[in-house]
Amino acid sequence: MTGIGEDITALIPQRAPIIMVDRLESVEGDKAVTSFMVRPDNYFVGAEGQSLAEAGVIEHIAQSASAFSGYRARMAGAADAPVGYIGEVKNFHCFRCPRVNEVLHTTITMGAELEGITIIKGETSVDGEIIADVQMKIFVKPQ
Amino acid sequence: MLLENRYYRIIDRKAEGQDTVFRVALLPDCDIYQGHFPGNPVCPGVCNIETVKECVEILTGKRLFIGFIRQCRLTAVASPDICPWVNVRINCTPAEEGFAVTAKMSDDERVYMEYKGVMKVL
Repeated sequence: MTGIGEDITALIPQRAPIIMVDRLESVEGDKAVTSFMVRPDNYFVGAEGQSLAEAGVIEHIAQSASAFSGYRARMAGAADAPVGYIGEVKNFHCFRCPRVNEVLHTTITMGAELEGITIIKGETSVDGEIIADVQMKIFVKPQ
Repeated sequence: MLLENRYYRIIDRKAEGQDTVFRVALLPDCDIYQGHFPGNPVCPGVCNIETVKECVEILTGKRLFIGFIRQCRLTAVASPDICPWVNVRINCTPAEEGFAVTAKMSDDERVYMEYKGVMKVL
């Protein structure tokens, strides 16, 4: 399937040093799963080099949603990944910060789009342990 | 601090009633803008969230963990071109295991972010 497992820069508009998702693993209906390994040189890993800051977890979830939107846009024939902005972060829980070398798996549930704003839910786990969840409003810039 | 003197720099700090207002410069040469987005520098909302956390850490003298964000509204696009500096207004009261934090990021023109959540002491 186009987009699944492909170079992530085909699906998201962000570029180094702020790429916070590695792969779109699967898409089924309104759900998608992404993966991301926390590397020691990540922008949101502190000087101690031990863990990813909470802001990095939120950005990872937002970019997971962005990859899902990019996948849908490509399936619809778009050449470039759409640029989206976070409009709102709601009920974000972070149970712990992921450590360097851990692999995050995030499930995105995409809600309905209304006037360019999409509500998404994200849940991030490491080896089956849920470490964060959130609802977001994502505003997609008209092409 | 992850982003102090890299993404923002504190240029002033003052108490206003129960609140503390940090005036911060947004640094246009920050490397984050190479990727967010190429040719279209926009402040990542999450960097503004991290900036709020670091201001609260400075204010309280504690290392903190964002355990819960009830609501964070990003109400306008920010960038070093649009807003070379912003005011970060912090209201922070002791709560279970840490602090209840309300924050607002704005300049004379507009409000960029409104934030409500709980930060735990590490």
